[in-house]
Amino acid sequence: MDERLVPIRGEITEIVGGLSSGRTSHLLACLGDVVGRGETAALIDTEETFDPGSATQAGIDLRRLLWVRCGSNREIALRAADMLVRCPGFALIALDLGERVPRLPTTMAFRLKFAVRRTDVALLIVGCRRLTGSSAALALETLREGIEWAGPGPAPTHLARVRTTTRVLRARGAEFGRPPSSWWSA
Amino acid sequence: MSRFACVLVEHFDAAAVERCEPALRERPLAILNPSVDQPNVGRESAPTSNRNGALAARIMTTIEANAAAREQGVRPGMTETEARTRCPMLLTRPWVEEHTASARHALLEAALAVSPRIEDGGAGVAYLDTVGLERLIGDPAAIGRRLVHQVRAIGLIPRVGLAASRTAARMAAATGSGAVTVIPPGRERATLAKVPIAVLDLAPDLAATFGRWGVRTLGELAALPREGLAMRLGPPGLRAHDLALGLDRDPFRPWTPPPFWEEAQGLEWEIDSLGVLAGVLETVLERLCRRLAAVGLVADVLEVRLGLASGGHHARDVSLAYPMSEVKPMLTLAILDLEAHPPPAAVIRVAISAHPIRTQVGQGGLWQPPAPAPRDLVTVLARLAALVGADNLGSPVLVDSHRADAFTMLAFSPPTEPAASERRRRGAPQRDDIPPPPPAPRRLALRRMRPARRVQVETAGERPARVEAWLVIASAGPWRASGEWWDQQAWARDEWDVVLGDGALCRIARDRLTGHWYLDGFYD
Repeated sequence: MDERLVPIRGEITEIVGGLSSGRTSHLLACLGDVVGRGETAALIDTEETFDPGSATQAGIDLRRLLWVRCGSNREIALRAADMLVRCPGFALIALDLGERVPRLPTTMAFRLKFAVRRTDVALLIVGCRRLTGSSAALALETLREGIEWAGPGPAPTHLARVRTTTRVLRARGAEFGRPPSSWWSA
Repeated sequence: MSRFACVLVEHFDAAAVERCEPALRERPLAILNPSVDQPNVGRESAPTSNRNGALAARIMTTIEANAAAREQGVRPGMTETEARTRCPMLLTRPWVEEHTASARHALLEAALAVSPRIEDGGAGVAYLDTVGLERLIGDPAAIGRRLVHQVRAIGLIPRVGLAASRTAARMAAATGSGAVTVIPPGRERATLAKVPIAVLDLAPDLAATFGRWGVRTLGELAALPREGLAMRLGPPGLRAHDLALGLDRDPFRPWTPPPFWEEAQGLEWEIDSLGVLAGVLETVLERLCRRLAAVGLVADVLEVRLGLASGGHHARDVSLAYPMSEVKPMLTLAILDLEAHPPPAAVIRVAISAHPIRTQVGQGGLWQPPAPAPRDLVTVLARLAALVGADNLGSPVLVDSHRADAFTMLAFSPPTEPAASERRRRGAPQRDDIPPPPPAPRRLALRRMRPARRVQVETAGERPARVEAWLVIASAGPWRASGEWWDQQAWARDEWDVVLGDGALCRIARDRLTGHWYLDGFYD
């Protein structure tokens, strides 16, 4: 993965995009990078959509991943994120807000920002739209570019891979060109 | 070489209370026995009516006093009024059995941390077999200092004596001028000769007999002919003679620690607020943790038992998830558990017992990745469990099955060893015959619907053509799977990957047993 597109320690990173745009694949890739280094990560799963099978295929050591299921309660998800970012030692806290991102007061966004800086954890927020505004150091938007099918005959029998691209919405203190496209195998 | 040590804590009932309330240590303190009722004989204390209508007054009797109170003339056996007359600044506390029992156990455990062979000599007294300890600790004085250090760590102030016998060691502890007194081998009789006979704590009639004979010191008692003592006083006289000579006649009875560790606190008032109860829990946990730390143990489970004003008990098992001996995370976990399961009535007694285990002490590895500190992790996991429920928290583990979304949840306990890829990257030794694995693949993720949503699907032949209101733009499949046909949980399905008219790329599946279609989730 492009090193500029990974979550930054001590900062908030946001990935936004619609359904099937590749944001969850990007999230799993970030989690895989972290636990692959032997570090510990946590995933706050608001809508309980995390698929352990996909994560295992993405190379994630599930033993190093704390999975918090919030039963579609966004307020609980935000409170869980607030607790976890105050626990030093986690390398990455991922907050998957799903398809309904709540309104977050600016004070709460700043509270998260300063907690993240104090514990030097990377907070990655994934959703259909942005949550923390200017508190995020990096904001990315994922877009789907194409789909490849595969099969022995004229009719495809399975999904082969999906190509996505990333658009940088906000990058505090860094100059970005257009990141290259990514291929995600099914 | 000295063979025995005696640890003596004077005025033990008062010391046990001071252990619970260290601020009392420098102030005159008397322990009162609240269970003594006597008829009212004209005192000015508030009378109460008994069942027969006669008046009776509750007289509080002093059963113990600390050194500061004794300096001002307070003695056991005095009534509270007499004690307060002699010492107007006297503080009093009722005698609580749990305080004394906890302190007694704590003293024995502290002694056990120095020697594996100890004997319970009664409240405030512990004997240790010190044979062989000189090779571990040093000379007898060093052993004594170690004992003083261990006992001070649990909140008691001891005096230690070391001698060739338990009796001589106790005499040395009781009469020595410093915290540690060592009687050299063969010097027991000479050292104890000038000690007053009162230290033997003899029966009153026997002590009176020796007083009439003019025997005032242990040396004078030891000089009496043994046969004559046996003829006139019988076995008690011989026993007193042995004590004066510093001889042990009773066998050494080794003490072993109880199977559980408990600290308790009785309360003079009822507590109906969790905030106030937290303060009491912290005090009890501090004592328990000091005991555990003194012998190098940690706890993995706490049992919190609350005595209720209604007469019942409220017991909770608090699993610590990670063995620890630190007060703050233990307190947080206990409070969170009690918040979730509050006691049904006001609390009048608190008891906490720990299941102790021994930790494996080891140095952290050079390649060990950074991870949350155990105490932080335990605390945040407990808070999260209270927030989302314990079932919704943990690490997923895939189940060995082809069934869709087959996984189970385990308690989160990240491994401490570094990941294999990280060991390679940092140059840790690797076996040459094992090729390095390829980098992690970039795989498309599935966002699962839980539970899978039933949908209406129109088909063209076998292939799906419309899902609910959306046309199917492209599709691939079927991926046929089945399993557990030998059981009542048999399943069989055809999976399709489809692109819908709104651009969503999703996985749908047809249950071949029922013919129903389900939306498994979205590729994202």
